[in-house]
Order: sequence, then C-alpha cells, then structure tokens
Amino acid sequence: MITIKNLRASVEGKEILKGIDLEIKAGEVHAIMGPNGSGKSTLSNVLAGRADYEVTEGEVTFNGKNLLELAPEDRAREGVFLAFQYPVEIPGVSNINFLKTAINETREYKGQAPMEAKDFLALVKEKQHLVELDGKLANRSVNEGFSGGEKKRNEIFQMAMLNPSFSILDETDSGLDIDALKIVASGVNKLRTKDNAFLVITHYQRLLDYIIPDFVHVLYNGKIVKSGGKELALELEEKGYDEIKKQFETV
Amino acid sequence: MANEILEEHINSEYKWGFTTDIESDTFKKGLNEDVIRLLSHKKNEPEWMLEFRLKSYRYWLTMKEPSNWAYFPYPKIDFQEISYYSAPKVKPELASLDEVDPELLKTFEKLGISLEEQKRLTGVSSNIAVDAVFDSISVKTTFRETLAEKGIIFCSFSEAVQEHPDLIKKYMGMVVPYTDNYYAALNGAVFSDGSFCYIPKGVRCPMELSTYFRINSSGTGQFERTLIVADEESYVSYLEGCTAPQRDENQLHAAIVEIIAHKNAEVKYSTVQNWYPGDKNGVGGIFNFVTKRGLCVGDYSKISWTQVETGSAITWKYPSVILKGDNSVGEFYSVALTNNHQQADTGTKMIHLGKNTKSTIISKGISAGVSNNSYRGLVQIKKGAVNARNFSQCDSLLMGDKCGAHTFPYIEIKDKTAVVEHEATTSKIGEDQLFYCNQRGISTEKAIGLIVNGYCREVLNKLPMEFAIEAQKLLAISLEGSVG
Amino acid sequence: MSISLENKISTAQNLTAALSRVGDKNNVFGFDMIGEALQFVEIEGLPTNKHEEFKYCNVDAVFRKEFKEINNSFSEINMPPVVVDAINVYIINGRFESVSGKAEGLVICDLVAAQKTHKEVVEKNLGAHAKPTSSVFVALNTAYCQKGLFVYVEKNAKIDKPVYIHYLTDPISVSVINPRTLIVCGAGSNVQIIDDYYSKGANFFSTHTSEIVVGENAQVKHYKIQNEGDNAFGVITTEVVQSSNSVYDAATFIFSGSLVRNNHHVRLFGQNIEAHLNGLIIGRHNALIDNHTYIDHAMPNCNTNELYKGIAYEKSSLVFNGKIMVRRDAQKTNAYQSSKNILMSDDASIYTKPQLEIYADDVKCSHGTSTGKVDEDALFYLKARGIGDESARKLLLQAFAQELIDKIEIPSLHDKVLELFEESLK
Ligand SMILES: Nc1ncnc2c1ncn2[C@@H]1O[C@H](COP(=O)(O)OP(=O)(O)OP(=O)(O)O)[C@@H](O)[C@H]1O
Ligand SMILES: [Mg+2]
Repeated sequence: MITIKNLRASVEGKEILKGIDLEIKAGEVHAIMGPNGSGKSTLSNVLAGRADYEVTEGEVTFNGKNLLELAPEDRAREGVFLAFQYPVEIPGVSNINFLKTAINETREYKGQAPMEAKDFLALVKEKQHLVELDGKLANRSVNEGFSGGEKKRNEIFQMAMLNPSFSILDETDSGLDIDALKIVASGVNKLRTKDNAFLVITHYQRLLDYIIPDFVHVLYNGKIVKSGGKELALELEEKGYDEIKKQFETV
Repeated sequence: MANEILEEHINSEYKWGFTTDIESDTFKKGLNEDVIRLLSHKKNEPEWMLEFRLKSYRYWLTMKEPSNWAYFPYPKIDFQEISYYSAPKVKPELASLDEVDPELLKTFEKLGISLEEQKRLTGVSSNIAVDAVFDSISVKTTFRETLAEKGIIFCSFSEAVQEHPDLIKKYMGMVVPYTDNYYAALNGAVFSDGSFCYIPKGVRCPMELSTYFRINSSGTGQFERTLIVADEESYVSYLEGCTAPQRDENQLHAAIVEIIAHKNAEVKYSTVQNWYPGDKNGVGGIFNFVTKRGLCVGDYSKISWTQVETGSAITWKYPSVILKGDNSVGEFYSVALTNNHQQADTGTKMIHLGKNTKSTIISKGISAGVSNNSYRGLVQIKKGAVNARNFSQCDSLLMGDKCGAHTFPYIEIKDKTAVVEHEATTSKIGEDQLFYCNQRGISTEKAIGLIVNGYCREVLNKLPMEFAIEAQKLLAISLEGSVG
Repeated sequence: MSISLENKISTAQNLTAALSRVGDKNNVFGFDMIGEALQFVEIEGLPTNKHEEFKYCNVDAVFRKEFKEINNSFSEINMPPVVVDAINVYIINGRFESVSGKAEGLVICDLVAAQKTHKEVVEKNLGAHAKPTSSVFVALNTAYCQKGLFVYVEKNAKIDKPVYIHYLTDPISVSVINPRTLIVCGAGSNVQIIDDYYSKGANFFSTHTSEIVVGENAQVKHYKIQNEGDNAFGVITTEVVQSSNSVYDAATFIFSGSLVRNNHHVRLFGQNIEAHLNGLIIGRHNALIDNHTYIDHAMPNCNTNELYKGIAYEKSSLVFNGKIMVRRDAQKTNAYQSSKNILMSDDASIYTKPQLEIYADDVKCSHGTSTGKVDEDALFYLKARGIGDESARKLLLQAFAQELIDKIEIPSLHDKVLELFEESLK
C-alpha cells in the first residue's frame, strides 16, 4: 500500500526526519511510539503534504503513485487520511456541509457524480452511529467549541465518512476517556478490512489493547530505531524509553 | 444557497456585464433647472412634485461635494457629464406584458428575474412580487392585483405619485429630507423612478416584495427612490438586487431608501448589491452612494437591514435606523466583500431616542486584492433613551497583504441607563484551516469559499429563503458564462 | 508680559515681530523651527469641532472665550508635600526650575543647557517626534516654550528611584503655559517616570508637549497623574518612539480638569516591542476629558495593549479615541484595545471611537468598548448582604478601577493614587 524509503524532512532548516524506512501492506495495522518531539507528527504531516515541511531526501510510493508529488487534497482524494493530533476549528462551517464538500470533491476527482442528498444523509446517520457521535455535533461548526474528546471522535467520524484506504491516527487516543477510547477503537476495528491499512501513533499501550497492531515501531530522534510485534509496546510501557535513549543518544 | 455568491465572487469575473440592445430615450448630458422641468414634464408630474425637485436642486447647488474619506482616492465626478434620464422607449401605458419590449424581458429573464407571473407561480421559486427598474424606469411590477386584495400598494414610484399623492406627500422626505446630504439633495432633484410600498394596518404581506435594479445605458446615472411604509401591526420583507453592464467608465448610483415603521410594524430589508465592480485594474465600475434610513416611528416597531455587498467600485452606504418609538428595535447585518481595486465604506447608524430601544450590529468585512474595506458606524444614545441597548460586532478578514481592513465606530452615549457594547476583531484564513480542508480532499479554492462562508454565516442566515433562491438564479447566469 | 491670544494666533501676519523672540535665550528652538511653527498656526488656526480629531472637544470655543486676553504672571508656589521617595524635578508655571537628587547615568537639566552639553541627542530628537506641523498646539508650544526639561538616561543605566516631575502652575490671572519635555532613554536603560500635574489660581491653558525616546532594550514606566482642578485647560501631547525589544508601559490617572485633551502617541520603530497604554479617568462637574491614543505598528512582531476606563459624574463628558495602525510590514502584530465606561449621572456623556486601520494580514487585533451603569445584580447582591446603597456603589466603582490602580508598582504612589481615587468618589 505505502512504501517509505529513506525519508528525510526538515522544518525551518532543522532536520526532523532523518531517514525513515517503512512499508505498510493492505490489511495491516502499524503502531508508532516514541518520546515527545521525536518526529511522529512530523511524519504524518509530511505524508499528508503539509507545506511547512520540506522533504529533502527519500521517496514515498502510495498504491504505485509518487505520493510526494501530489497536492495535499489529491493525496486525500487518493485515500490518505490523517486524523490530526490537534484538529482545527473552522467557525461557521457546519460539519455536514464540510463533509459533503469533501466527499463530492473526491467523487469528482474520481469522475463520479455527486452523492444524492438522501444517500449522504443516510451515510451520516450510519457513521454517526458507528462512533456514537452525538447528532447535534454533526450540525455544529467543524470542531468549534468541541471538547478535546469530541474533536477526536469527530476525526474518526470523518474517517468513517470518507472511507480512506490508508489512515494515520495521530494520538487519537489522547484526551479520550475510557468509554470514548473503546468507542473510537471499536469504530476503527469495524472499519478495518483486508483492503485498508492504518498507522496508529500513540503514547499508550492502552489503545493497542483495543486496536491490535501487526507491527510496532519506535521512532526516536527522527529515525525508526526499533521494530517488533505488539509485545514491543508492552515492553516500552514497562521500561520507558530510557534504554533506547541511552543506546541512540549519540546519534 | 446564498453562501455560494461569496464563494463565486472571490475568484470569478463579473458575470452580469452584458448590455441590452434596446432603444432608449436618453436625455442629453448635463443638469440645470430646464432638465429637471423636462424630466418632471416627461413623467407628467403634478406641480408639487416639480416644486420638490426644484427645491432639492436649489439646495444641492448650495452644497459642497463631501470631501473624500481619507482612505479612498477616487476620480472626481463631473455632474454635467451625466445624463439624468434614460428610459426604454415603451408605450406610456402597459396594458399587458406583451407590450413590454421583448429584449427587456429577455434581459430580466437572463438575470433570473421573471416578470411573468404565471411562470413564477409554477416555477420553483415561491412568491415574490418584483418591481423591475431598468435604467431609471420601473418597467413592470408583478403581482399587483394579488397584493391589492389585501390593500397592499406595491408599484413604481412614478405611479404612486399619480395614484397615491397623499401618501407620497405625507411620507416622502420624512426620513431622508433633501437637505440631508449632498447625494440626497441631488436625488431629490433628479430621481426618475423607484418603488413604493404601503402595507396597511394589521396586514402581513403574504409574499416577499422585491425591486430589481439594472443600469444599462452608458453615461447615465441611476437615481431611484424607494419608499416603504408599514402601518400599525403590519409586516413586510423587502428585497433589493442590482447589476450593471461592464463598462470602462464609472457610473453613479445615488439612491434613497426610506422606511417608516409604525406601531408594532416590522420591516425587513435585504440587499444583494452586485453592481459592476470595475475590472482587475480598477477601471470602470459603479460609484454607489446610497442613503438608506429607516424610522421606527411607533412603539414596538422593528426595522432590520441585511446586506450582502459584493459589487461597485466604490460603496458608501450606511443603512440606518432612528429608534424613536419606545421599545423599538433596529438591526444591521452586513457582509461586505471587496476585491481588486474596490473600496467599500459601509456601516450603520443607530440613533436611540425612545425608551427600551434595542439595536444589534453584525458586520463582516472581507478584503482581498488591493481593496480597502471599512466599517464606519455610529451608535448614538440620546438623553431620555432610558434602558437603551446596543451590541455591535465588527469582524474583518484579510486575504493577502495588499488590502486594508478598517473599523471606525463612533459611540456617543448621553443616558446613564444605556448599555452599549462594541467588539471588533481582525483575522485571516489560517494556514492550518486550509491544510485541514485539503487533507479531507477539498481544494484550496473551495476551502477558502467554505471558510469565508462560515465566517459570514451569522449574516447570511438572516437572508430570507426566497432571496437565497434569487441569488442562486444570479449565479445560474454565471454558470451560463454569458458575457454580453 | 501681556499678549493677546487673538494676536498670537495671527502673529504670523507679523512674523518679524514674532521672530524677534528667537533672541529669547530661554526657547531652545531656532529661527527656522519657530518660523515654521508660527506659519503653521497661521494657516491652520485653532481646530473647531468640525475637525474630525476634535469632534467632541471644542477647544476653539474655550480658547476664544477664556483665553482671549491673557497675562502671563504667576505667584510664588508653595511646594506640595513629597510622598514618594524619588528624584524630584520641578517645572514651575511651565518652566524648568530645579531638580533635587541624582543618580548615576541620569542627567536632568533645562533644554537650553542640554543643547550645549548633549548637543547631538537634543538635535536628533527635539522637535523630530513632536513636529511643529503635527498640530497647532505643538506648534504653539514650539514657538513659545521656555526652559524646557531635558531628561537623559544613559545607555544601560538602571535608575532605582523614580524621576518625579512636578508640573506646578499658579497663575495670578488667565494664562497660557507651554511646558516642553524631552526624555531620552538610552539602549538597555531602565527608568520610571512620574508626571504629576498640580495647580491652583486662575484659569490656564497648557500646550505641554513631551517627546519620549525609548532606546533598544530599554524599559520605561511612565505614570501620569492629572488632578489640576477646574482651572486647568490644555491640549497635552506625548509622542513616544520605541526601538527594538523595548518596553514602554504608561498609566494615566485623571481626576479633574476643565478641558483636558491628552494625545498619547506611540510609534514602534523596531521589532519585538511591547507597549502598554492604560488610563483611569474620573469626570466631575463640567469637565471634558478627551484621551486620544495612537499606536503605530510599523514593523513586525510587536505587542501592544490598551485599557482605558472612565467614570463620568455630573455634567462631565469623557472621550476616548484610540487608533491602532498596522502597516503593511507589521506582520505578526498583536494589538488589543479596550475601553470601558460607567455613566453616573443623567447629564454626563461618553464618546468612544476605537479605530483599527489594518494593512497586514497575519495579525491579531481587536478592540472592545462597553458603556453601562453600575452592575445592578452585583449591587443587589451587596445590598442583600446589608451594605448600604452608597457604600455598595463605591465598592463596585472601586472594583472597576482597581486593576488600573494596581498597575502602579511604586507602593507610595499606588497609595497616593488610591487616595485620590477614593476622594473622587465622594
Ligand atoms: N512547524 C514547526 N516549526 C518548528 N519546529 C517544529 C515544527 N513542527 C515540528 N517541529 C519540531 O520538530 C520536532 C518533532 O516534532 P513532532 O511534532 O513531530 O513530535 P512528536 O513526535 O509528534 O511529539 P509528541 O509526542 O509531543 O506529539 C520537535 O522538536 C518540534 O518542536
Ligand atoms: Mg505529535
């Protein structure tokens, strides 16, 4: 699905990603963990195409296409979805209108006719149910005045609506209470198919109890320094990053 | 929906710039007493009307053109270079629609304004009675009979002068006397037509009333007058739309709108102002200097202005409400969008005289290109306006760093029981907002439209449904891509 | 010396006569500058209320009525008691008189003397920030000032004690005074300045003009206490210019005056500048107190903040006109302004005109203003706790004013202002 090779990227002249290699196949769930500031959000932003980030080296192939050449909206239309760590507020724009625009622009890109209003509304109903999002939130402005947890849940709702093939969840679990965490996780699990893939960024093993990853990677100082199965997360939870830090400090 | 107007506007060319090839009766350029007499004669006006015109004219001669607001350079207007009357050559009396020049009908059809009542009844649009003003002349008012059944008078101003002289004499100039300002005096002298509307006591007007203004001839100015009188316990929602052809000269539009609301009456006045704004380099476009004012003369009356201003090279416009009756309410909701070289200086005046009077001002300015967009408003609480309340919110959105956004509120309070609040903010579209939209597959252009619409939502929500449909029709023309 | 003001205004017709004053060794300005100033006065005349900047402040009428004939003769002044431990400077009847106390890195003297000792500094700044052609009152001040005040804080000097400038005025008959001040704070310096205006005697009109230069990295605190009573009229101009990384923090307290017009202008010529303009204004009797602030953001990354509060009693009128200008290059500006007022009488008025003029897009600017009466709910709450109406109102007014009074960091000055405030509530 997506192949990342020797990806290096910098912000304001400062190199943050220092050569990332990662391959994610359809049907897989990968988790990325790592201390604050190690570059996790940078990786997701680079994949989504945020302008402030300059890719200095490396390549990313997404379903056979050179992802780095595409405009951010085209990446989204091709099926890359980023659940933001800090979703922004867009005052006055209703969630519904926002999603309708997103879906129809994507359909247009794919040469499909706009979705019928009633089909759209049915889809909203269905997906709202999936993430147990309060119906009132859908009619409110995008993220405006949402609580931290509501914003995260709204991200998953949007993911469900847009049905992407590759989703990056950047700390979608932080700020969620236990019930919400379960709801979000079960939402993700329900959306999991053999044709899509997930990259889950998290600090807590807790989430991985619900979304079972196939692989766990540790990102440290802009590099993936360790990879393993789901037991790696447990190990990290227990021991923290000290050992890894010590080992790679000089890098 | 109405939202799309803005969206389209930001990046699009002016779509209503065609001209209509129609034979018209146009005065020679220039202004003097003879021109005014001729105009009055042409319109077969009674003596008192001519007197009013001459009084206005003589007063105008004593006035100085208002010195320009500091911010906006604009070419000097030569009032002798304007023709003060232009009318499509039609028979003086129209027995039926068949007698209207088909070119004219086509024009309005093209603008999405159907003057055929049956069409409007069967079509998607709901009931809107239209008074269509082409250049200086009202060409057709629809639904008059339906309205007449309820005692509502809705006709062109000229007809009202002939048929309802008492009402005109009583109300014309009551809110905006010809001495009010330079352009009000000029309008008093040379106004050619406009709309008149009277809602009798206790009547809720069953449909939206609308005036559609179209400037067509070149070298003319448009000076129309609208007078709306809502008698006790009545209600009316009034809509105004306007477009003009694309020309590389500046044309002057100096209109007057007067509203009088009696006890318990409510008038909603909505405008989508879409005069030709000039081209990308600031050549051409309408100078829109309009005096709009409402008088809440009766207790518990309410006047509400909603405007979406996207057109004109220069707009100076301050729809105001004088809150004379106790417990009367004034509202002003405005979106003003300027692009390229456009300049808008708009706002409102809320004059509180009565007790427990209340006013609300919501203004959203959007500046793009090298344009300048100003909010200029006055909130005045006179002594004795016990418990008066005002809330104002003025927001500016800047797009790019070559435009300007300004806020000049004047607040004058002379009653200790008053509570007045004013807030203003300035912002731009956030990079992170754009990226968020992009990440959901929405192009930057679309995203800007969405965000700008969101920003204006409070105001757009105030537009009546029917007007949103009218606005959509205007957009339909843009989809046709028909530039004349 | 006796001159007619009517004459004064039209002196320029008689330029030569006026220019003979250049010989006056007490006026620091030279021939050209005075000539320019007088010419400007001649052309402009006094602003009437048709003038946008003087819409609510009819100086012209006052001037013509009150100051038609003037005699500039003054009584001896008995110094009021000093309550703040400070370096005290005395400006008597508009002229620099004396200074007591000193500090390392601090120079205080009259402008004429400074022109010799600090030629470069004076020449570079005097009349450069308050240009004679910027307003008629600055022009008059330029033409007629005598023995102005010069305060110079050397580079990196930290002045521990505040510089307390007493502006004392006691005319025998109607007079015009023209105090002039130049304060230059060198790079990295740190100083607190107090302007305290005090007067008695006959009516007088002041054209007090100050220029304050805040160097790079300098920190300047500026307190103004205006309590001159019903005999005081004036248009006071304070022009502040700031360089990069500097902080200018001003707090103005006005408790009385017949017609007080304060022009407080701050221009930011550098990056990472911080400026604060605060004010507490109490209007009594027929006072007209008009505060005009102007903050000019010319460069990026500066933060400014304004908070003005007014309480209007009796027949007083309070005007607040605050303009924030953000120029094209001033990206990443943060500028906030707020004006709050309480009307205490049926005959008092409040006029506010906050203005934003913005030409840069990546900025955060806002203004807010509110006017109302004492919060009725709070009043009721206090009364329900057994507090009488009058005391309750006082308490609430105190709460309203407190945040401004608390901006004073010198305890003795804080107490003095608090006392003045409490007195003003009586
Ligand atoms: N736009 C930016 N400008 C400057 N520095 C940036 C920017 N974005 C990221 N950085 C820096 O890059 C480094 C990596 O940041 P990133 O947000 O990718 O970390 P993270 O691994 O997601 O951390 P966390 O666990 O706290 O979310 C940090 O040092 C951060 O300060
Ligand atoms: Mg992160």
